[in-house]
Amino acid sequence: MSRWSPYDLNGGTCIAIGGEGYCIVAASTRLSTGFSILTADKSMILEVNDKCLIASAGFDGDRSQLHKVLTFRSENYEHFHKKPMSCPAMAQMLGNTLYYKRFFPYYTFNLCAGLDDQGRGCVYTYDAIGSHERVGYSCQGSGKDLVQPVLDNQLKAPSILELPPKVAVTSLSQAEAIETVKIAFSAASERDIYTGDAVEIFILTPEHGVQKEILPLRRD
Amino acid sequence: MGIPIEDETDSLSFFFCFPTACLVGCSPAVFRALQLGTTAIGIRTSEGVVLAVEKRLTSTLLIPSSVEKIMEIDDHLGCATSGLTSDARTLVEHARVECQNHRFTYNEAFPVESCTQSICDLSLKFGEDGDEDAGGMSRPFGVALLMAGWDTVEGPRLYHTDPSGTYIKCEAKAIGSAAEVAQSTLKEKYKPDMTFKEAEKLAVETLKQVMEEKITSTNVDIASVKPTFRLYPVEEVEEIIKELTS
Repeated sequence: MSRWSPYDLNGGTCIAIGGEGYCIVAASTRLSTGFSILTADKSMILEVNDKCLIASAGFDGDRSQLHKVLTFRSENYEHFHKKPMSCPAMAQMLGNTLYYKRFFPYYTFNLCAGLDDQGRGCVYTYDAIGSHERVGYSCQGSGKDLVQPVLDNQLKAPSILELPPKVAVTSLSQAEAIETVKIAFSAASERDIYTGDAVEIFILTPEHGVQKEILPLRRD
Repeated sequence: MGIPIEDETDSLSFFFCFPTACLVGCSPAVFRALQLGTTAIGIRTSEGVVLAVEKRLTSTLLIPSSVEKIMEIDDHLGCATSGLTSDARTLVEHARVECQNHRFTYNEAFPVESCTQSICDLSLKFGEDGDEDAGGMSRPFGVALLMAGWDTVEGPRLYHTDPSGTYIKCEAKAIGSAAEVAQSTLKEKYKPDMTFKEAEKLAVETLKQVMEEKITSTNVDIASVKPTFRLYPVEEVEEIIKELTS
């Protein structure tokens, strides 16, 4: 017996990598439902301001609403405090916003990424109810299990079991990081049916603000 | 409409010119409280902000440490109060809650101006209407505050608030009974490139000049925000006063 569900899975994968003086956020643009494709160019990324981006994978209906709510609150913040929201502030606020709906969650798996006040890349990774931590890189979405080991290998993450605990600081250059992202998506699109069509790649730097690139992927 | 008047008795002349002159009419007691309040001085430099207040201990049986005229609001924010102490406590409590709310939601320090604004938002919530939101007061707050804080981006800040709900950003400000005299001294001696030590000395010197009793380490309080709030212990106040007289 099939029961009506308020949720749906619309697929897509997103990656974020933070390094010294740059931050890269990339997400696929395919929107699917079941075995069908709804559209080939739906953005999963919200540009909050030139220091912070939010990528959300999962259910597009909740993603759309969440992004609207965050935009509203970040604009209010800017009006009241006369300065744009910093990425760490947005990260905390996103966590709170998600937990607010603890008993009817936003079905979104988020990445909040950008530049912190020192100009260093920062990436925060979330679960659906707002549990978050700052990391050097992360991925979410339907292709996450395919992409995560590639990132771990290329970005040389220290084992989380090591003592004393080592922070995952990404030591790749900006160009190397972008190359890794492109390779990861190409690989994921081969095996994950929900990842494909194209990838939006946002590059944030203190000097140039937000730059965008589009990488086409296979359309089958 | 209102014409802002640039003079030392800013609080009172401000009100007489504004439509909210009803504030003065319906609560003259409140403004009397401000005029009689203990003197407080705040000076801002690029190295930090200093606050100095007279405690006015009316009896030797009064325990000096229990007279709290400078209060911490958060790690990066504190204020000096002049006027009705109970009203001051209400406003500071509110500011403390707002600061923690902000940290909870945004994981960052509450900007000093925004905190000052949130305190001023309370100021006009008084009147006689029965249907107003619960907790409406019957009279304005009879207290002026000097908010001293350190913003992560903008640096040290000093703001002055009064019962009308107006706030102004200042480099140096004196409030309370001796405000007129103290403010003119500050105007004379303040320099934008002052070091913190110089500002500290100026604040205490000015207080000494206008206080009725002889200045001692127990009848004044000094605090600084550079960049965190710190109330000076008695020994340190003693040191500063000794340096003044030498």
